Amino acid sequence: MTDADVHIRGWGAVTTLGWSARESARRLLVGHVPPAAVCSSSHLINSDFKAFEVPFAGDPLAKSLAMLDAAIGEAFERARLTPAEIAESALLVGTTGGLFIRNEFDFTDSVRRNPGEASPSISCRNRGPGEVTQFIAEKFGIRGMTFTLSMACVSSSHALVVALRLLGRQKIRRAVVVGFEPLLNMTLHGFASLLLYDADRCRPFCSTRSGMQIGESAACVVLEAGGPTPAEGQRYTLQGGYLFNDNSSLTSAGTDGEMVKTVVAEALADAGILTRDIVAVKAHGTGTRDNDLSEGRGLAKVFGAQMPPVVSLKGAIGHGLGAAGAVETALWLSCLEEGEMPRTFGFSEIDPEIGFAPLVENRPAPAGAYLFTFFGFGGTCTSYVINKE
Amino acid sequence: MTLHKNHFSMSVIAASFLGPSLTPSEDVPWREENLPLDCDDLVQKVLGQPMRRAGRFIKLVCSGAAACLQKAPAGLLAGKKTGIFLATGLGNGDEILPFITQVFLHDGGFPRPNQFANSVSNAAAFFLARQCDIKGVILTLSDEELSFESALWLAESYLAAGDIDLALVGGCDVYTPTVDEYRDRMNAHADNARALPIGEGSSWLLLGPAGMDGPGEIFAVEIGSDAVGPDACVRSASFADKLAGLLENAAGPLAGRAQNRMLLPGFRVRDAREAAGGPGLLALYDYLPHCGIHPTAAAFGLARALTQAPSSVLFHFNCSASGKPALVAAATK
Repeated sequence: MTDADVHIRGWGAVTTLGWSARESARRLLVGHVPPAAVCSSSHLINSDFKAFEVPFAGDPLAKSLAMLDAAIGEAFERARLTPAEIAESALLVGTTGGLFIRNEFDFTDSVRRNPGEASPSISCRNRGPGEVTQFIAEKFGIRGMTFTLSMACVSSSHALVVALRLLGRQKIRRAVVVGFEPLLNMTLHGFASLLLYDADRCRPFCSTRSGMQIGESAACVVLEAGGPTPAEGQRYTLQGGYLFNDNSSLTSAGTDGEMVKTVVAEALADAGILTRDIVAVKAHGTGTRDNDLSEGRGLAKVFGAQMPPVVSLKGAIGHGLGAAGAVETALWLSCLEEGEMPRTFGFSEIDPEIGFAPLVENRPAPAGAYLFTFFGFGGTCTSYVINKE
Repeated sequence: MTLHKNHFSMSVIAASFLGPSLTPSEDVPWREENLPLDCDDLVQKVLGQPMRRAGRFIKLVCSGAAACLQKAPAGLLAGKKTGIFLATGLGNGDEILPFITQVFLHDGGFPRPNQFANSVSNAAAFFLARQCDIKGVILTLSDEELSFESALWLAESYLAAGDIDLALVGGCDVYTPTVDEYRDRMNAHADNARALPIGEGSSWLLLGPAGMDGPGEIFAVEIGSDAVGPDACVRSASFADKLAGLLENAAGPLAGRAQNRMLLPGFRVRDAREAAGGPGLLALYDYLPHCGIHPTAAAFGLARALTQAPSSVLFHFNCSASGKPALVAAATK
């Protein structure tokens, strides 16, 4: 257990489903979930890749910054943070691309504005992953400690667990945890080069799955040690968590499920609860062969015959990469506020090697402990427990 | 200024510095116009084998950290929970740029898979973890010019809480052409940085709880929240008072070493000599000419001073471009 209770004071998210976590959750729960599609953003150079794009009329850089604004603004409004509270908060940002979108936009925009001319050389003008953190800090007046975790797909889930540790030990008073990942040519082509991209659709835990699809998103979760009960809605506690990095494989969490089992067991132990206390699992569920096999086998080892409902959100909003932790947490919390757990989109038949089906119909969301899992490049794993009181 | 203080004293068990000359823990002349130097000889010498598929960032991370660990007692890491805190301001741009160039030039073609794998932000930390057989808390942190100080602060928090037994904390940034673009990416210009050549480096500290053998200790990491100009800050009486306060708080461990007090100015402190001669009256330990300006130069400065300035109290000070100050206090034996 951590030394102090850490509660979730606010959250916000922008996803392909909407410009707020609340709107995204409502669309998700009523099944207004368009499949991934060819993207319209002007900086994307290949129309072969379907992705979950956030709709926006304007250039992609402006959209990215608007996404940050909307997600953080929603979280701050829900948390009813005063300017003084914002100022003293710590800021932890999980991102892989940061503001790299600017390079891609500048380059493609230059090519488009100069038809017939040779392409300019590609320059990299972004100041590294930390640039977006300084941008957020300055824009919102956050003056506490800042950390940018650039840890591939666990960037913001790791950030949540690091924040949990710092809050529990009273090293910081409040944490604003942001996940941010605009659509990039870099990541679309990168995952395609690894043959991890499904050209058709994302099918988490399904026997027909053949890869992931990327979804752009921005999200924010405000954590606080102790503190007041939220003015609206339920009280949620980040009850425990665990982060771990293996060094066996750059790209796989080990298909025997042992590492997943260990990480989940550590998260449950940190939360001080047993497997039977878990109401449901918000799984990573990317739709890739290896990830879902690792995760499915790991969860089966942890829960055995008493498997709680398992949900992957990636068939509905795509893989948010470094933002996945924050955005899936925010979206899940808004679903809980609506009183329901969402179903898994994209699943059709059980994979015998996994042995269970994820939740395929919405279900009422009772009070209790919800388990979250995330896995990523570089042998990275995060798991944490959120308790709905 | 409001401070985020960590005053848990940490032993520096081993330290190694690597600058643009690519000679671990040695000062060798180098020239900005010759950068970047080929690092394959360094990799072979330090690691004993090549890293053929890796780019310079991964190679420098692994070589720099290995050079540090080679100075630690053999077998020290065995059975211990060791955390890796890799700080980088700019990340692995040397991997990302060729990759994205390939994407655009081929109009949607497929770059090589290992090109993408190595461009992922935490690939270097993964390879380092595998090289050292470390599992557990392995974090890649980026906070522009305060990346190393933030990583130290976080490592200190994890050590103090007992979450880890040892922390391998390093800063690495590699030069990518051109010089002007590199300066742009660091936001280092005439009006906000010292007039020095740009550089690069990979410098590391192996840290443990107080009382362990090694060249020294770090006794405070403070990161402020108020935006203050670096030059004004180090010349102020309050800065001198702060240093005096730190010395007083750490009086026990510093017994006999408080005479030789040095200021290590980061690259945002434009007038280093004047800063050292302010109310605090510190000797100037000017490390930047040996490593050039890069976001994690603080790691180089501290590692160099910890290994080359015995019986000293060291204060490293820098600010972010927006004026956020960071102070690291250390002492050598």
